[in-house]
Amino acid sequence: MNIYLPIAEMSVSVALFLGLGWAVGFLSGLFGVGGGFLLTPLLIFMGIPSAVAVGTGSMHIVAASVSGAVAQYQRNNVDIKMGLVLVAGGVIGSAIGVGIVRILREIGQFDLFVALSYVTFLGAVGALMLIEAAGTIRRARAGQPVSTRKRGQHSWVHGLPFKMRFHRSKLYISAVPPTLIGAFVGFMAAVMGIGGGFVMVPAMIYLLRVPTNVVVGTSLFQIVFVMAVTTLLQAVQNKTVDVVLALLLIIGGVIGAQFGAAAGGRLKGEQLRFLLAALVLLMCLRIGWDLVARPDELYSIAPVLGVLQ
Amino acid sequence: MRHKSGMMGITRTSVTLCVLMIALSAAPNFCLLTEAQAAPPTLETTSEARDKKQMGPRRPFAPSRPVPPLQTPQAGPVERIEADVSTRSVEVTTDFTGHEILVFGSIDNSQQPSDESGYYDVAVVVEGVPEPTVVRRKSDVAGIWINTSSIIFASVPSYYAIASTRPIDEIAGPNVLNKHAIGFAHIKMTPEPGYQWSFGEEELAAFKAAVIRLKRQEGLYVMEAKDGVTFIGRSLFRSTIALPANVPVGPLVARVFLFRDGEVISAHIARVTLERAGLERLLHNFAFRYPFSYGIFAVMLAVLFGLLASAYFRRGVR
Repeated sequence: MNIYLPIAEMSVSVALFLGLGWAVGFLSGLFGVGGGFLLTPLLIFMGIPSAVAVGTGSMHIVAASVSGAVAQYQRNNVDIKMGLVLVAGGVIGSAIGVGIVRILREIGQFDLFVALSYVTFLGAVGALMLIEAAGTIRRARAGQPVSTRKRGQHSWVHGLPFKMRFHRSKLYISAVPPTLIGAFVGFMAAVMGIGGGFVMVPAMIYLLRVPTNVVVGTSLFQIVFVMAVTTLLQAVQNKTVDVVLALLLIIGGVIGAQFGAAAGGRLKGEQLRFLLAALVLLMCLRIGWDLVARPDELYSIAPVLGVLQ
Repeated sequence: MRHKSGMMGITRTSVTLCVLMIALSAAPNFCLLTEAQAAPPTLETTSEARDKKQMGPRRPFAPSRPVPPLQTPQAGPVERIEADVSTRSVEVTTDFTGHEILVFGSIDNSQQPSDESGYYDVAVVVEGVPEPTVVRRKSDVAGIWINTSSIIFASVPSYYAIASTRPIDEIAGPNVLNKHAIGFAHIKMTPEPGYQWSFGEEELAAFKAAVIRLKRQEGLYVMEAKDGVTFIGRSLFRSTIALPANVPVGPLVARVFLFRDGEVISAHIARVTLERAGLERLLHNFAFRYPFSYGIFAVMLAVLFGLLASAYFRRGVR
């Protein structure tokens, strides 16, 4: 059965995209990640225009993260004040990102920018995770305890102005670093269609020294709000949010996530991280290959933007 | 199935023809005028050409034409082609997977002895709305393939289908085909001002060829099989044109040309509207006319589905 997508303006197989949603949902349930970094490139590989893939991806992430955010909030694992600072930064970053998407589409370099961003971030994050997971596995084999953060450590982060008290995180730090982190994540959300949890969580732990029990809840809180704003901005400025496509992916995704979470329970944390790192690097290589391999077709055509609308 | 629809086509043609003939006999000038006015730029020349042929003597064709005994070439009846489409309006709904339209018509005062005589040639061109199109070319920059040069063509038909009685290059010479934009190679592509002098002839030709190649790959430029237009009897003809699932929504213009000895001797225009309908129309209009409300709607839908799904599965698991 086929369905015509109103924004992507193409007829696609319902089963194929439900299946894609399921597969991404399964992996995100398995690894406990948002899955945006998998979904957006896969949509582009399937022939969905890059900009529509990114715009629709942000709507998908809202649906995928909202229940987790609510559950974390109910368990009091969200630092609301920290979350709001991150959201404020995120909205600024997202607005800048959406504007840049528009400019890049007009000059025909959006696809390149997305591909380069993905290669850079996936490459860096994948490599770091691989090293970290390999280290943890080695230490666990050697019988050493897995180290956690030490309290009361100070870094350059604590010398900045505009200090705020974050009660839930038991922190008294400048509002500048969380705003910047939020802005960076919001920018990535707009140009890459990802939630950015895999950047925000380590940044909060290592730079801000937020306690691990509130990190996940607070980052989910930020992701839901920033992705909601990003969805709205993409819909208004770029008109690239396809609700029909998003619904197919969401329906497939929520079912896949249940299976993924069940499968994830049978694997160890560091094994999961190792697999995830491998997956991230594989994705990075796949996108990178398209950049350096000589394309079969050197030409591309597109309608001139700003004329139709 | 195909045969049946053909029969239906014929009955419909004769009905349409009767109506058209009455209309024509009542006010022939009116008909011509409206056509010329409504025609896209390429068609004005067509109407002009036809008018000229009808007014002036048709000497260029006279020698090779078998002349009926009682008529001199100068006073001979003027052939005129008339055509219509099976579906005047096609609706694009969420289950749209393409559509086939039948372009049919007849030749008034046909002088061909039979349908297989090859006396006339007919070409049918169905075109979508022309739109400014940017073509980009990648080249290797420090090991990475990047779009480095681009050109904007002022108006490229979003969709272009052609069917003819014979391959068009056998029907007429390049000048005639260029004049009426018949055939992929003869589509008019003019660079936007500012791009006119930035490329040489060869580069420009490569850009044009790329548009045609890519549009054909997308299934938007279609050439029907070599007997795309078939005659039924002395004057009736028919042709089926497939609209693919990804055909850009908008009005389509079907131009029908009658050839004799490599010249266009008559032409006719029919129109097909291609409109979004149902849920498809609703969502598209919503997204483009009320983008802010659409964005809010999208977010609410995502939140709703996210919460519903987790609530459902929590109940299912526990």
